Amino acid sequence: MKNFKYILRLTLTLLLITAVVAGLLGLVNYLTEDKIAALTREKAESAMQEVLPAQNYEKIDHEKAGITEAYRADDKGYVVRVEESGFGGAIDMMVGVGTDGKVCGVSIISHSETASLGANCVREDFRAQFVGKDGALAVRKDGGEIEALTGATVTSRAVTAGVSLALEYVKEVG
Amino acid sequence: MSTFVLLFTISLNAILAENFILVKFLGICPFMGVSKKTDTAFGMGLAVIFVMGLASAATWLVNKYLLVSLGLEFMQTVVFILVIAALVQFVEMFLQKVLPALYQALGIYLPLITTNCAVLGVALLNIQNGYTFIESVIYGVTGGIGFTLAIVLFSSVRQRLEDCDCPKAFRGFPLALIAAGLLALSFMGFSGFKVFG
Amino acid sequence: MMGFKKQLKEGLLTNNPVLSQLLGMCSAMAITTTLFNGIGMGLSVTIILICSNVVISALRKIIPDKIRIAAYIVVIAGFVTMVDLLLKAFVPALSESLGVFIPLIVVNCIILGRAEAFASKHGVLASAADGLTQGIGYTAAIVVMCIIREFLGSGTFGKGVLGADGVRILPEQYPALLVILPVGGFLTLGCLIALTQWVNRRLAEKEDKKEAAK
Repeated sequence: MKNFKYILRLTLTLLLITAVVAGLLGLVNYLTEDKIAALTREKAESAMQEVLPAQNYEKIDHEKAGITEAYRADDKGYVVRVEESGFGGAIDMMVGVGTDGKVCGVSIISHSETASLGANCVREDFRAQFVGKDGALAVRKDGGEIEALTGATVTSRAVTAGVSLALEYVKEVG
Repeated sequence: MSTFVLLFTISLNAILAENFILVKFLGICPFMGVSKKTDTAFGMGLAVIFVMGLASAATWLVNKYLLVSLGLEFMQTVVFILVIAALVQFVEMFLQKVLPALYQALGIYLPLITTNCAVLGVALLNIQNGYTFIESVIYGVTGGIGFTLAIVLFSSVRQRLEDCDCPKAFRGFPLALIAAGLLALSFMGFSGFKVFG
Repeated sequence: MMGFKKQLKEGLLTNNPVLSQLLGMCSAMAITTTLFNGIGMGLSVTIILICSNVVISALRKIIPDKIRIAAYIVVIAGFVTMVDLLLKAFVPALSESLGVFIPLIVVNCIILGRAEAFASKHGVLASAADGLTQGIGYTAAIVVMCIIREFLGSGTFGKGVLGADGVRILPEQYPALLVILPVGGFLTLGCLIALTQWVNRRLAEKEDKKEAAK
């Protein structure tokens, strides 16, 4: 009987602690949820505006692996959101493709690459290289014309592959 | 890419190019703590492979069927660590009853694994990378193999470090860390290679 | 007040969580690439450490011994998730750059270690002070690592804190990229621990001499 009581006490204490923690977390989540969602949305939207400014983005249904979202941007072209695995995890990027089938902008939404190396993929001068390109792209090491970031070939390859994927997709739709 | 190739790539990455200890810095504490002897290091490695595989499977299922369907993803960390703690405890009891020999071998390392960041790390990374169930389990097991590889290699280096002559301040831990750094340097050679394009 | 001073000295030097207790090394090596990361991580850990120390110390008589580790982990995981959510909402840049290492604070041995070694045996106030001093010690250690690695690896100071690219000290072509890579983490931490061991031994020798002189 004593043993039973002891076990009950253990269970109840742990249950109580867990319940309190869960309750508090629920509260914090409730307070921050909207803010986080708004931030995420804002980020995606500003990336879309950056790569291909337009009034209206019309969502397109698609089934291509690696592409998370695709939009038709007025009659100016397409905005494609691609996820490609880099060195430290997934690189989430937005690629704008004009009606001529050429890249008009690349923006990195989130990444977990090494600071000072792969993380440089957000730099303007690296991203600008893609503008005006079409077809299958590759970094210089692989015989292409994209200048890879110093010490971050993997990241550069991933971004290049992502842009190529977006181009391929637009070719299929457009 | 066919499924097999994809799984092979994940495995190779987890073992070499993205080695949990030497590249991702997950699980450094046990790496430093239990690497003084090769056989204990090997025992720890086996225990980690086992738990990482199981934990990947369990947390993936919990996440998919409990957290996501209830819209409680923000509780991920809390739930995962509880699942892992419970799992470790359960594995310990199970082994004690069914495979006492293995329990004898792994016994003392099992409780330590709860606070091994490689285990929680693999659970969180599986979800972050959007792996399927099979990919998660493979990633967990091969991540564990990578851990074992690193810790076994390192323990043999460390045994030799014990009797070397070096500045007093560097004796013991600092020297071990520097040796680990050199090991990490050699693993860098694997980074960025891609199998089958 | 004397007690606090002693705790502070312990936290910073003689019993520094990273440099002498050798705890929490995963994060100390993984994220110490820019000053911004180091300060953010240090503050997050300090806050979580204080909160969890206070709660665990307050509950130390209620929690049965058998389930104490489980209870501690739940409390710690709760605080970590709260910090994670708050950072995501209010400091998204930090939460992005630290990534998976924020949730991984749960298994940072410093927090569980202090809960077990200190908070479960001392009063609330002392535990809070312990959390603060150990947190400062952790922050100091990783900030030093950040400064060294950022300087040698990228040639800058204060990346993310003083403007997006920080202040450039070394011209762009000189820094050794290696220091930013995992290898550099191991090497820097190894040298820092060696330095701490040396300083601590000198301090101990001095104390011994003082004792002898008396």
